[in-house]
Amino acid sequence: MEPIIQVRDLTRDYKLIRKREGVKGGLIDLFRPRRKILRAVDQVSFDIQPGEMVGYIGANGAGKSTTIKMLTGILTPTSGQVTVGGLVPWRQRQQYTRNIGAVFGQRTQLWWDLAVVESFGLLKKIYEVDDDAYRRQMGTFNDLLGIDEFLHQPVRKLSLGQRMRCDLAAALLHEPRVLFLDEPTIGLDVVGKENVRKFLHEIRDQQGVTVILTTHDLGDIEKLCRRVIIIDKGKVHFDGELDTLRNRTGNPVRLTLELREPVSSATLKEMTGNLPVSWQAGEGLRHQGEFHRREVTGAEVIKVIVNACKVSELHLAEPAIEEIVARIYRDVQEGES
Amino acid sequence: MTGVTSVASLTPWHRSVLGTVVLYLHFVRLAFLKFLAYRLRYYTGVVSYTIFVTGHYYLYGALFASRVVEHGSMEGGNLIGGLTLTEMITYVAVSWIGRSFYFNNIHRDLSSMIEEGGISLQLIKPYHVQDVMMFEAVGESGFRLVMFSLPIMVVVVPLFDISGPPDSMLYLWTFLSFCLALVIYSQINFLLGCLAFHMKNIQGVLRAKMVAFDFLTGVILPFTFFPEWFQTIVAWLPFQGISYVPVTIYLGKRAGSDLVWALLIQLAWSVGLYLAGRLVWFISVRRVTVQGG
Ligand SMILES: Nc1ncnc2c1ncn2[C@@H]1O[C@H](COP(=O)(O)OP(=O)(O)O)[C@@H](O)[C@H]1O
Ligand SMILES: [Mg+2]
Repeated sequence: MEPIIQVRDLTRDYKLIRKREGVKGGLIDLFRPRRKILRAVDQVSFDIQPGEMVGYIGANGAGKSTTIKMLTGILTPTSGQVTVGGLVPWRQRQQYTRNIGAVFGQRTQLWWDLAVVESFGLLKKIYEVDDDAYRRQMGTFNDLLGIDEFLHQPVRKLSLGQRMRCDLAAALLHEPRVLFLDEPTIGLDVVGKENVRKFLHEIRDQQGVTVILTTHDLGDIEKLCRRVIIIDKGKVHFDGELDTLRNRTGNPVRLTLELREPVSSATLKEMTGNLPVSWQAGEGLRHQGEFHRREVTGAEVIKVIVNACKVSELHLAEPAIEEIVARIYRDVQEGES
Repeated sequence: MTGVTSVASLTPWHRSVLGTVVLYLHFVRLAFLKFLAYRLRYYTGVVSYTIFVTGHYYLYGALFASRVVEHGSMEGGNLIGGLTLTEMITYVAVSWIGRSFYFNNIHRDLSSMIEEGGISLQLIKPYHVQDVMMFEAVGESGFRLVMFSLPIMVVVVPLFDISGPPDSMLYLWTFLSFCLALVIYSQINFLLGCLAFHMKNIQGVLRAKMVAFDFLTGVILPFTFFPEWFQTIVAWLPFQGISYVPVTIYLGKRAGSDLVWALLIQLAWSVGLYLAGRLVWFISVRRVTVQGG
């Protein structure tokens, strides 16, 4: 199959002015500003097939948003090429934008003062969506996101979670071939994140849209993307299956357990049988352990523990994306030397 | 490096002409509705505009009275700046009623959109921001006409006994002229808003604009009050088309070919400023996409 998105040696510099200190420094800056070039995206290349949902992950400042802005045509690259479905995003912006949808986590594309439904009505006209398609899409969105509930409220009165659901629906109303999501779960609580993830899961299966999703939250891509691209300091450090990544990094999941009755960690180990969890030694109500996803799933661990002991609280902490990225980065440096 | 080979292709897309008309009319409607939701704000506006006209009423009354004392009588062309007292009061009333109609804040909306980065979301929509803002301004002015200008008229006209134009056809021409004023005003605001693409902090500029505008458009005083050189300068600027031209049409100061010329010049400024806005927008956006948003 031919890829729908092709990115070749994509590079983007920002020119920065480094400020000098003090009044004197300020005056010197006026006449001889010290310029510095920041390479936010550095020789990035990848192909994405139609229908793929790819996680584009990296820590803050890694260059994710800059990449998305170039892919959506908001920024022109310093060098390199991008084609999406044969179009160059920043050259043919008007024609291009009809075929794509985008959500930028921190901003809403809905009209702030208007009821949500008015925004959808406007988008319908902007993209010339016909009545049948409009009804069909709105039906889908309501089934998956329950947006009918707040369709008649002004956008400014929505919670962040509700607003994000509307923004996702708004980006998909015109059935774009490609969807760009820049941190779609940023700032959301657990339930909000879960809603968004479930929706994207359904959309991926139903509408066959190609999705690039940036995040610094590994939880987002865990259930959605088989493939991830990891970027750090503008460079791609990993591009492949999520499973490969997990096995490669070997960062454990941390488990915290609060019990109703005190037991020792040895007893706990016995009670939970042959679960591959390494428990920290200790007595009492609170216990901590670690396990690897490649050995056992989180669901399995929870099931066994809940059946075996009287649990009051249970918490799983994913390996932080920063750790994984740092590790990969370290591996790369070691490989180079 | 491998070249980019052919890929699964997207269809280039253009909105139909009908679709475009429907879309922009929809912007008119939405803006109207949006302002309707905030209509309470405008009730206080009616009061402050009325107070303003009242202030001028007494100011000019006193000014003309002092003239009468000097000259001993009202007879013999007691004119200031070429206008009688009645015309003067009418000038003030009509120009403020007009202002309540064409006014908008495109410059502020656009500049804050640029400063806060919301502009990037506009760039990924298949429409022209300039056109959207123009049609939203039309919707806003529609709202203003009904909810603001009309109430002001209802209060001010009987209060100061404002008379109609010498020829009732002039109602129509005045309204047409104020509609062109709306285009000129909006396009100047759009250009001012675009300054935010190139300057770090334009709030100061925009505040200065508020004051300068009311002078240059002729809202504060008719140009005939000013020295010759000032009149020559403003005659070559677009601002007179915002207030001075429509109000003098109302007063019957422009007849026959003068009237047609005045409207044609307004039209020319409307088109010219719109095209300038297009160009500036195009250049500015290219700069943003090159420099980073
Ligand atoms: N408009 C800009 N001007 C200057 N530097 C920028 C600009 N936008 C982003 N950067 C810098 O480029 C780098 C990458 O930023 P970004 O793409 O936003 O990263 P991410 O989305 O992964 O957090 C960061 O160091 C950031 O400070
Ligand atoms: Mg970002």
